Amino acid sequence: MTSIVDFDRFLFAFTIGSHILIVSLSIGMALMICISEFLFARSKDKYYGALVRRLIRPFVVSFGIGTASGIVMAVELVNLFPRFMTLVSQTGVIAIFYTEIFAFFVETVFLVVYVYYGSTFKGRYTRWALTVPIVVGTLLSAVLIVMVNAWMNTPNGFDIGSYVASGTNYTVTGVDPWAPFLTVSTGYEVFHVLTSVPLTGVMILGGFFAYRYTRSTTAEEKTLFLQGLRIAVAVSFVLVVLAILAGVVEIDDLYRYQPLKYAAIELNAQPGTNLPMTIFGTVSGTSVVGGIQIPGLQGWLEHGANLPGLSQYPQSAWPPLIIHETFDVMILGAVVLGLFVLFYAGLWVLKRRPFERPILAYAFLAASALTAVVMELGWATDEIGRQPWIVYNTLTVANAANPNSDLVGPGIVIIILYIALIPFTLWFMDRVFRGKPIAVDLEGPAAGGHDVNY
Amino acid sequence: MSTINWLFEINFAIFSVFLVLFVTELMGGVLLLVAYDATKSKVLPYIVPIWEVTGTFAAFWVVTADFAYPQMLWPVATMLAAPILVFLILIIARNSSITFAELIFRRGRLNERRLYRLYGLATVGIGLVVLIILSAIVSGAGVTLGANPTFSPWGWVTSGGSLLYVVGVLFIAVGLAPVFYNIEPLRRLSVPLTTLGVVIEAGALYLYSSSLLTGYFLVPAVLTVAAALLYAVRSTAPIASQKVVFATLGAIIIFAQSYLVYPTAFATAAHGPLSVDAVTTSGPMVGAFYVLSAVGLVVVGLLMVLYMLAVRRATPVPPGPPAPVPPVPAAHSP
Repeated sequence: MTSIVDFDRFLFAFTIGSHILIVSLSIGMALMICISEFLFARSKDKYYGALVRRLIRPFVVSFGIGTASGIVMAVELVNLFPRFMTLVSQTGVIAIFYTEIFAFFVETVFLVVYVYYGSTFKGRYTRWALTVPIVVGTLLSAVLIVMVNAWMNTPNGFDIGSYVASGTNYTVTGVDPWAPFLTVSTGYEVFHVLTSVPLTGVMILGGFFAYRYTRSTTAEEKTLFLQGLRIAVAVSFVLVVLAILAGVVEIDDLYRYQPLKYAAIELNAQPGTNLPMTIFGTVSGTSVVGGIQIPGLQGWLEHGANLPGLSQYPQSAWPPLIIHETFDVMILGAVVLGLFVLFYAGLWVLKRRPFERPILAYAFLAASALTAVVMELGWATDEIGRQPWIVYNTLTVANAANPNSDLVGPGIVIIILYIALIPFTLWFMDRVFRGKPIAVDLEGPAAGGHDVNY
Repeated sequence: MSTINWLFEINFAIFSVFLVLFVTELMGGVLLLVAYDATKSKVLPYIVPIWEVTGTFAAFWVVTADFAYPQMLWPVATMLAAPILVFLILIIARNSSITFAELIFRRGRLNERRLYRLYGLATVGIGLVVLIILSAIVSGAGVTLGANPTFSPWGWVTSGGSLLYVVGVLFIAVGLAPVFYNIEPLRRLSVPLTTLGVVIEAGALYLYSSSLLTGYFLVPAVLTVAAALLYAVRSTAPIASQKVVFATLGAIIIFAQSYLVYPTAFATAAHGPLSVDAVTTSGPMVGAFYVLSAVGLVVVGLLMVLYMLAVRRATPVPPGPPAPVPPVPAAHSP
């Protein structure tokens, strides 16, 4: 029984981990296409037009694969955690999912119109206008899914006490259908995702442009990749500052509303007001051993608040303490990333032409991979930190999961498919981006559907 | 006096739109598999821009079903865990193959033709899984309800009408494919195949349970054969093969079969059948469903109008009749 629950858990974690990578790329590309279309409309610079033409192709790929992984995720939620989805569907959380569908419709229909019929719209600003709802739709989809996650962390909108007291009857009463749209952690989580997810997508594109710039042999190609890199660096600069700010304010929310998760990720063995910041290390008995401790830093960051400690909770209720490591690596990665983006943008502002230095191109490529790692670790910290609960203090994963062992075989096939599909998709996106000679992409309108095989 | 279960009606209406979109893809998928070169110019310009919209409607229906029948999620998931995951595997295959087919430029082993045919195969596979699940929900074949619901694939296969049900739908899909895609050389096959498919469907329903074959069956049956007949007659063929007309008619045909699952579903299941009203959500969630559905349907409606306007703009205007030649003035004789 436990092994099937763990399999459900692993299968879902694996598919959502793959999905967010593809989706962040989609959001990054949608943003880049929108900005490039606007710059093309305003400046009539044919390189921005060519950039759009080239970005549309991998965008179609990431959107198509992202739709598949999105459907997989949505259906898996029902199939792997039916008791969770029963609770979701009896409360206002299903209304969030329902709203998400409309965001998805906006994104899909505008994408189809823009990609396949864009050339029928002659005005450059009209074509740019078609890209705006695509960006809004993709971001809104991400926001709405994070609203569900916020509810899982800090549930509301029904009588939780009665639900828990009803035991295996799982009786839902006192439903407020609109409350889950705004839990105590919704604002913080939405702010965080609105900055970190586009940052990941744009940074990956920035790394790609920086690398391809150094490998280019013609002036046209260099100009094209430079235009892309310029946009990516500017957007990343803004987003990285906002993402760090969002992370800081989210930690404030965490110690108030999810104190046990907070104590675990900060590795606070004991509660207190002037606690040190512990980097790595572990808990042994009632104290922290190993790692690096910076005295008073945590207390200072949280303005001297009385912070929770693990000793306040029974050890059986603790989440896996690996989240302290995942959190530390995420923070270190985010700091390195922030410093790199500030450094790179600073060199550019000072006209030191960082894009001309191959070492910085490789560093950008590494930074873009680091962004993806940071995003995945952030998500893993959040999810593992809520264990053993699927809905915090309300419903456990074990009670929510589907115990049917028949799903193991097809589940393994899905994992194998993803292991092959995700790298192939990334490779294919690179191929279609560079598939045509630059001279071809410098001609004609930006959007259109001329490049599709039908 | 019985009241209308609007949640069921709305959910089934959305299901009808999704299913008609999917069936049009399924018909295209079959044509790509059996006659790729002869039909691709008719099939691909329709499928390539629409398959994402079909997927979105699928998600739309799944979420409204979650919303409407929360108490059914546990039984459905525990009963159909494996078929649902197989469905997901085929969805991954469908989306990735058509996505790659649209943009591939290599002409090696992995080429446009193979990828589109793989898409066709995956779509037919999805169709089979969907048919198995739908026929189980309609008939209860292989299904045991109660405290520990189960689904037996062997029980489904050996149940009287199951295989006939699948064969009947396939006949109808193949029969109507020339109508929707306006495949002139297959015109003469359309009426016999479609009619045979409808007769097989009637037989399948009767074998499941005579209570499923009622007078209501005549409505979808007559409309389905009518679509094929309209195409068979040259003067009405252009009307039948209008995509919007066909899709609307298809949605009506599917919606007209709602009697098969309402007021009860899983007709012959052990410990069945299941009262749909008994598992439909109630309380404050019903009001939220109506509000969101009203807002959402307006949004989706406007988006569909935008989509059709874009398609219309992109559709080349057929050349009109030749302009009349001005009369040549009679030559004046000197």
